[in-house]
Amino acid sequence: MTHARLAVTLHGVKKSFPLGNGSNLEVLNIGQLALPAGSYTVLKGPSGSGKTTLLNLIAGVAVPTAGTIRVYDTEIFALPEPQRDRFRAQHIGYVFQTFNLLAAFSALENVMLAMLFTHAIPKRQQRQRAGELLSRLGLSMRLSHKPQHLSRGEQQRVAIARALANNPPLILADEPCASLDANTAREVLAAFLSVCREERKTLCIVSHDATVLDAADQILDMTDINRAGNRHNVT
Amino acid sequence: MTVFTVALKYLQGRFVASALTAFSIALGVSLVIASFLLTRGIKDGFIEGTTDYSLVVGAKGSPTQLVLNVLFRMDVATPNILYITYAQLQDDARVEVAVPVALGDAYQGLRYVATTDAYFAAFPWRRKSFTLAVGRFFRDDAPEQPTYEAVLGAATARRTGLRVGDQFYEGEEMAEYPLTVVGILRPTQSADDRAIFLSLASFWGMNEIARKMEVKPLTAVLVRPKRMSDLPSLHREFNIVAETQAVFPSVVLLNIFNLLGLAEEVLTMILGIVAIVVLLYLFVSMYSATLERKREIATMRALGARRTTILSIVLLESCAITAIGGIVGLLGGHGVAYFGAYILAARGGLVTHPFLISALQPLVLGSVILLGTLAGLLPAVLAYRTEVAENLAPFS
Repeated sequence: MTHARLAVTLHGVKKSFPLGNGSNLEVLNIGQLALPAGSYTVLKGPSGSGKTTLLNLIAGVAVPTAGTIRVYDTEIFALPEPQRDRFRAQHIGYVFQTFNLLAAFSALENVMLAMLFTHAIPKRQQRQRAGELLSRLGLSMRLSHKPQHLSRGEQQRVAIARALANNPPLILADEPCASLDANTAREVLAAFLSVCREERKTLCIVSHDATVLDAADQILDMTDINRAGNRHNVT
Repeated sequence: MTVFTVALKYLQGRFVASALTAFSIALGVSLVIASFLLTRGIKDGFIEGTTDYSLVVGAKGSPTQLVLNVLFRMDVATPNILYITYAQLQDDARVEVAVPVALGDAYQGLRYVATTDAYFAAFPWRRKSFTLAVGRFFRDDAPEQPTYEAVLGAATARRTGLRVGDQFYEGEEMAEYPLTVVGILRPTQSADDRAIFLSLASFWGMNEIARKMEVKPLTAVLVRPKRMSDLPSLHREFNIVAETQAVFPSVVLLNIFNLLGLAEEVLTMILGIVAIVVLLYLFVSMYSATLERKREIATMRALGARRTTILSIVLLESCAITAIGGIVGLLGGHGVAYFGAYILAARGGLVTHPFLISALQPLVLGSVILLGTLAGLLPAVLAYRTEVAENLAPFS
């Protein structure tokens, strides 16, 4: 496997949090990890095993204590922060467990908001693309609705559309259906996986759902890959 | 979508809080604008009303009362002087113009001002000019043959609705002496706009006490000397006698301005406190809004927003809210000043111009936006420093 075919590679990545008494709490210690481009990887593990921390590190929103993280051959923490932000906007879509939609914005505006932070989509096409993405996810009748007027399933579909807005090659999803009921979760996941497959995205998803696990190219158990000594309290 | 539309969306999203903040800014700005406009208007009004004559000769008493009463028709009436004082001034070689003035009662709150046609004459040194919008001036009639003709100031005609040819009087006892409107003046932007002018003969004819007096009464004589160097001697001569006093209107004006200056200082302090309170309110509002939306800020950062983009959104929000408040405040301030000017004119006869556009308006608006943006700076820095990972809760 060459670097050109890898979406994400981690080498000796550690993450510690300082404790009040001057010592550090190590929550993540990963020697080597690779996500092939176009693959579908599921991260699983008990609560507190460092799944969200790992996603945050790959997204570049948390800084590792040690090690290197490369996303599509770019060592993201070698970039100055503003460039890292732009890189993230262009290359990484992030779906949060609790949707994190902006309450003051409509569904369409929430999706368009992601396009504001990079020039990946020309301004004149942004509204159209946001509308198309939401329609593909079954929300063509909900474009002008504010998050509080959408069901939880619909809110998560908006969050998925937002992650896809800039057409990033890598999608990170942190238990995207954990707060949905079983039926809605199934529907949302099916739509999500379908879009990611069609567009040949590299998907790294934290989930324990059997449907998700069954469809995965690789399943990584955090208890196997995380060698951190004390990882019980913080992720 | 732009950074500015995001800021406006946020303002819309918390409409009540934003509206209240903008309203409090508008109130503060209104107060500042109205205070400045009215203070400046009062000063200008006093200056315009007093600069034509160098000396006012009236009965002994308060100089301020004499000037306010005679020139601005404010304060309570001063005692009378005798016509002989006017005759004496008219014959004085040092005097270029002496204008007798007798102030009487009022019609619908508008004062009768009895005088001669010299009051309306155009002199090279006069700033104020009297021109008729319609009709003619009253006749300078003989004391024994009053014609009871009246010339109305512009505001008097507007307020009473009287036209040339109309007769009017106030009170049954005056029914025998109705005045006939013979002319209406163009606006002079002074207390004269709210006066009813008539001849001295008509005035004395209407007044029961004056009718019986052999030497007729006057309220004051307005004096312009031929040479300014004669002013001190004229001033001294009319002050050493027991019955009269001579007053320099400019000196009285200076005293009034000194008093106004004190009031202005207090007002400036109050306005300063108001500004601080309003800015604190804006700061608290923006700060709490930023704290409330830390998670949304973290989400935007996770989507690729730079720290400076987040900083700009909060600053633009603060800037927009102060601009809205500032513009509403400017309009409101002019409204309050207009109302204040109306009250001043109605109760004090002081004409002010509340709609004068000067450097004040852009200066206040610019300062408000600048200060508002500064008040938003700390919340913006708080937003700028928001750590993404720790605000993207929940933990898994």
